[in-house]
Amino acid sequence: MFSYIDFHKLLQLFIFDPQDHLYLSTSFFLFLFFIMLAFYRLFAKSKNAKIFIIILFSLFFYYKNSGYLFLLLFFSTFLNFYLGNWLYKVKSLSFKRFLFLFTILIDLGLLGYFKYTNFFIQILNDLHSGNIQPLDILLPIGISFYTFKAMSYVIELYIGTMEPTDSIKNFCLYMVFFPNLLMGPIDRARVFLPQVETPNIITKEDIGRAVFLIICGLFKKNVIADYISLNFVDRVFQVPLRFTGVENLLASYAYALQVYCDFSGYTDMAIGVSLLLGYKIMDNFNVPFIATSIADYWRRWHISLSTWLLDYLFKPLQMSFRRMRIFGSALAIFITFIGVGFWHGANWMYLLFGLIHSTFLAVSLLTIKYRKAFYDKVGLSGTKSLKIFQILITFHLLLIGAIVFRSDSLQTALNVFHQIFTFFHGAVFFQWIVGYQKVCILVLLGYILHFIPKSIDNKVQGLLIKSPLVIQAFVLAVMIIVVVQVESAQLQPFIYFSF
Amino acid sequence: MISDRLKNIILKELNLTNFNIEDSTIASQVPGWDSFNHINIILAIEKDYNLRFKGLEILKVKNIGELQKLIDSKIQS
Repeated sequence: MFSYIDFHKLLQLFIFDPQDHLYLSTSFFLFLFFIMLAFYRLFAKSKNAKIFIIILFSLFFYYKNSGYLFLLLFFSTFLNFYLGNWLYKVKSLSFKRFLFLFTILIDLGLLGYFKYTNFFIQILNDLHSGNIQPLDILLPIGISFYTFKAMSYVIELYIGTMEPTDSIKNFCLYMVFFPNLLMGPIDRARVFLPQVETPNIITKEDIGRAVFLIICGLFKKNVIADYISLNFVDRVFQVPLRFTGVENLLASYAYALQVYCDFSGYTDMAIGVSLLLGYKIMDNFNVPFIATSIADYWRRWHISLSTWLLDYLFKPLQMSFRRMRIFGSALAIFITFIGVGFWHGANWMYLLFGLIHSTFLAVSLLTIKYRKAFYDKVGLSGTKSLKIFQILITFHLLLIGAIVFRSDSLQTALNVFHQIFTFFHGAVFFQWIVGYQKVCILVLLGYILHFIPKSIDNKVQGLLIKSPLVIQAFVLAVMIIVVVQVESAQLQPFIYFSF
Repeated sequence: MISDRLKNIILKELNLTNFNIEDSTIASQVPGWDSFNHINIILAIEKDYNLRFKGLEILKVKNIGELQKLIDSKIQS
């Protein structure tokens, strides 16, 4: 029987391959995860054994995705644990400050080296027409996410809003926890560590909710996001000038949905997988496209990053600039959103994306008084029509950012805008519906599911929670079969993976 | 215990006629207390009590009870 098994190929599945990532949405991951879960249940009574199982699985998971760079993850874990705990105990305020800045500098230095070195070399070359060769640097996947997780521990110890943990094992679990290791949510040490230190109980509700979230995540990522990107969005954004304004606009609508389904799909799976292990990690999305302003959008989109930046960058900056009142807040917004752009990667388009959002927010802040007075005067304040108007305006402002974010160069983005505003050809819309039937249905379905009221969402979830485990397993199995089918039709990498 | 003086400053800055503020109340529970109004409230407190907060002191504060304690300790010193 064993002669039919190619052991070499089998072994290859467990070895790092830069072309073959182990995403949470792949069938191979789900297969390994359920085996791991069986072991996890076997040791249900020993908290320590369970922690070690997760740590070992996480390290394999990271090794499979990033190779020997898992050593960097170890380094970051030890550095932030020992320096963080040391600075908490230090009495001298100036030495505490020195230790804090030293730790943050190493964290940001490592992040900067791996993510931005070649970007700066390129800038130097452009400025001085130099010829410095770019360095051969492999980007450790998820470094922005786990560095921010580590920094949250050190920053809160420095401010004094949390107590340190004495256990390197518990801190290690926080850092390497595989569900949110590669793409967030950027969980807070203050929230996660107490869960490691208390017994974790997995209720029937948790299991039902986990299955629901994993199914939603798989559907959003593998069915909606991958299909519309491969079959429509990528084609348009590759050569926008080959398409009319209608198609460029529809591709932008589809792209906004694709990023949402891609990223929130991964988050759903991360939360679901964590629940099955007995851990609750923070949510990252709250119906972002019903936002009535850009500020409202950032309270609903990538919540773990926006609250991280709000707490650790924006608020301290705003506090230091407080004598400048509203202009101080506007300046803090600009700096924070340049940070948001930069966090996404070493790319001028991401910086431009940050700049666009900071401009929207600053203008919104500086004009809020006058807009409110105007709405009061014309009797629109608090009306439904104003809300719908605000949602539509906000969504289209977001689209400007999304087009810049998706475009590989400024010229591509300008081409998209050029086609939309000067080569619209509205009649093509009907041809598009006929030609791109499946894309059209999936985009519509995606937006309908997005706008579905929370109460209906909760009802479906409740139904699944109440149904027997066999039914839950059956529904999950059906979704996994769908995943396998889609995978064979080429799986797209997650957009947020490279950040 | 939140003093009337602090309560009045907060209500005035947020244009509220009345709102029950307790020690455990956190900013997000008070209508209108967002990150932008937060700065106005801090500035109003500094002006009214004639004191100056350090950045870290304010970041540490978790609820209005702690804010009251911080103000009290500043006045006493």
